[in-house]
Amino acid sequence: MGVTGQYIPGDSVIHRLDPRVKIVSTVMLSVLILRGPVAACIVLTLFLMVLVAVAGFSFRFLTGSLRPVRFFLLLFFVLHLFFTRGKTIGPLSWWGVSVTEEGLAEGMTVVWQFSLLIWSAAVLTATTSPSELVMAIDRLLNPLKKIGIPCHDIATMASIALRFFPVFLDEIENVREAQAARGAEFKTGGPWKRVKAASGLLIPLVFSFVRKAENLAVAMEARAYASGPRTYMKDLRMTGTDYAALAITILLTGLLFFSGNLL
Amino acid sequence: MIKARDISFSYERGQSPILKAVSLDIPEGGYVALIGPNACGKTSLLRHLDGLLIPDSGEVLVDGLNTRDPGALKKIRQLVGLVFQNPDTQIVGTTVEEDVSFGPGNLNLPSAEIKRRVETALETVGMERHAKRAPHTLSSGEKQLVAIAGVLAMKPRYIAFDEPTANLDPTARKRVLEVLKKLHREEITVIHVTHQMDEIVHADEVLVMSEGTIVGRSNPGEILPRVEWLKELGLDAPRVTELLWQLRRMGAHVTPEALTLDDACEHLYAAIEKRGQRDR
Repeated sequence: MGVTGQYIPGDSVIHRLDPRVKIVSTVMLSVLILRGPVAACIVLTLFLMVLVAVAGFSFRFLTGSLRPVRFFLLLFFVLHLFFTRGKTIGPLSWWGVSVTEEGLAEGMTVVWQFSLLIWSAAVLTATTSPSELVMAIDRLLNPLKKIGIPCHDIATMASIALRFFPVFLDEIENVREAQAARGAEFKTGGPWKRVKAASGLLIPLVFSFVRKAENLAVAMEARAYASGPRTYMKDLRMTGTDYAALAITILLTGLLFFSGNLL
Repeated sequence: MIKARDISFSYERGQSPILKAVSLDIPEGGYVALIGPNACGKTSLLRHLDGLLIPDSGEVLVDGLNTRDPGALKKIRQLVGLVFQNPDTQIVGTTVEEDVSFGPGNLNLPSAEIKRRVETALETVGMERHAKRAPHTLSSGEKQLVAIAGVLAMKPRYIAFDEPTANLDPTARKRVLEVLKKLHREEITVIHVTHQMDEIVHADEVLVMSEGTIVGRSNPGEILPRVEWLKELGLDAPRVTELLWQLRRMGAHVTPEALTLDDACEHLYAAIEKRGQRDR
């Protein structure tokens, strides 16, 4: 199943939700994960598993989305394990650094919280197409226009970046092949030699992209692009399902915060 | 009607101008071909038609709107569409339909209207089945068709094509040319810049540019058989016209007037028959 963060097309309830609802919900859940009581993590884990199932993904989606960050998870765990003051566990102590009970608990909590953050973000980006995300961010940032932030232009920029990312990858391959055809070697030699070979790709790539950017700007202008508000083919309109989904998240977040105060 | 009056332009002050007092009228509904050697000012001229470039002196009027008037630019760009040589750097959207919706979105049309226009435009160019695809997965020809649909969705009266087939393989080229003819039949004014003379034998009018001025203006039957003159300018004649011209130089009794393969066949056949009768 796709790379972390990649959109996985589908037609589930979650796919069809208003992207603004999904973004706001993700932000609320993230705050809850970081600031809420630890007990909330248990409920949220179950909640996210339900979301993954409803979206029509297999549970491998959960493990898969943690793959790219597994070293960070390990690092966080180890740092907390060794550098938290507390009661040393048995003989696990070397040169003044020791594994503590508190460290073990802290490490596990941090890894769990971090995984939950990744999962909620992964559910968002896997069920929302990049263009929907851009459009939603455009609308959500709309109030910032009043303090002079060009949110429409930012949205257009983000959309163009998404459009040209695969083009960029192709271009790297083209330049690499063109240089390899003339005898450049990228896959042999020591690390220093490889870095030097790769840096030779940089200048042709920069040139190629500056030219592309210039042409694109002209083409956009020809299509009547101007800084400022524009309309979209898909209109964002909240439906009953969207309000229900928003209500569920608000209720869940509120309850779990509240439960922390009670316990 | 697009009217250009004595437009001169140079990219940098003090440099020799790329356009030298060019005047032209492009009537509505026509198919106008613009030919000329590289760096003769064709692209600069096209960019003046929709106000991407503003002349140093002279004026461009699109249906009475002056490109010097910043308030008229949005309307002018809706009226005059521009399709460039390289489709890769014209496509902005992350999917085909989203790209086609870019222009109408810039015109701030309501969503329902944008959706309708996107569907119609994609049908016109025959790309409706690919609406959800990502641009980088399309072939060059398909990308160019999407670029054309993107312009069509703005409902322009004029579309200027700047060497639209230069990067395409023969099949894709044919497809794009078919679309150009179709648009002309649907009463969109086509302005077609090309180096391929075979592509413009059906045009209503051919404009020949050289060194920043228009040096010839007539119908294809008048311009294209002037093989020697075209060669002097660094241009080619259609292949079959050149064939007849060569035969004539070798002493054959043919005139290089045919522009298409069919016409040339007829002409040659008649010449051969005549010779045969004389010999008998």
